[in-house]
Amino acid sequence: MVAQFRIPSWWPDASGRRSFNAGFVDVIPALIATCTWGFVTGIALVKSGLTESMATLMTLTVFAGSAQLTSLPLIESSAPLWLIFAAGMVVNVRFLIFGAALHPYFRHMRWPKRLVLGYLSSDISFVLFMARYGDSKVKGSTEQLWYFLGIIIPGWIGWNTFSLLGVFLGSFIPASWSLDFAAILALMAIIIPLVKTRPMAMCLVVAGAIAWLGQPLPLRMGLAAAVGGGVIAGVLTEKLQHKTRRRRA
Amino acid sequence: MTGDLDYDLYILGAIGLLTLCSFLTRAGYFLFGDYMPLSESVRRALRYAPTAALIGIVVPELLPWRAGAGPVLDIKVFAALIAILVFWRTRSTVLIIVGGMVAYWLLKALF
Repeated sequence: MVAQFRIPSWWPDASGRRSFNAGFVDVIPALIATCTWGFVTGIALVKSGLTESMATLMTLTVFAGSAQLTSLPLIESSAPLWLIFAAGMVVNVRFLIFGAALHPYFRHMRWPKRLVLGYLSSDISFVLFMARYGDSKVKGSTEQLWYFLGIIIPGWIGWNTFSLLGVFLGSFIPASWSLDFAAILALMAIIIPLVKTRPMAMCLVVAGAIAWLGQPLPLRMGLAAAVGGGVIAGVLTEKLQHKTRRRRA
Repeated sequence: MTGDLDYDLYILGAIGLLTLCSFLTRAGYFLFGDYMPLSESVRRALRYAPTAALIGIVVPELLPWRAGAGPVLDIKVFAALIAILVFWRTRSTVLIIVGGMVAYWLLKALF
């Protein structure tokens, strides 16, 4: 007699699987970028001097490329831990905004599930999810949950696989290839697409100038000043734009 | 593990704190969103922080200078400019990394 195979209760039904697949199909183009970044980040971790075990641990726990890449120059210059934490928080602050927007869709769930969903969320999951369900009146349907999972699960697998590949292949790549420069380029690849509006461009110019001038300051205070200056520049430019627009109207 | 306990603890501390960053920022609202209203003006202002922080890391790496020695012009700057040009033409973020690296290798071979 054949033992009956029991499907666990959390397993998605046909419509759940359809939503998962829809998320997966939507995320495929972005997955190529995610995997490339993961690979470069993995290489950068070991090229900056982290041991393979530390780089592996960092990949699997932190799961945030830009924060990891940001921390590397700080770690190399033996910056204090509080500064590494502060820099990581600032670079990750966008997730607070994403989280605030996504929260209504998952608020009905129990906290351990919300913790995992939040931790696995990414830039691309926010962009795709809001594009599909941003105007939806129903918030918190199973369909939405499975669509979200269809984005974040492949993302997590792809990112970690390629990051670890980079970590382990990184030590075979000679230093003369200067692949640590790829980490800087990867950060640029995050920044440049963000600069689409005039306030964001002003933020970039002002923060860049302050960061350049502030280099001799101790404890990377130039970085803190750049963040403050960049935010103020962005907000002021936005206000100015509103004023001139109102005047014209 | 490097055998240098202080260094290992420093790295572990950094990894632990960055993991905490991930949980606080990504899951913070998922967990405590009901108790944390975020005003629209704060939300708008926060949009600029990541760009500012990322450029604040990149600029000193590309254009380092020391008091007394003056600025150092490295081929990295030119490779980065070429990478931006490549993005401008192709709109591909992956090509920023590939184009920038190829440009850097070519420039290094030439000069």
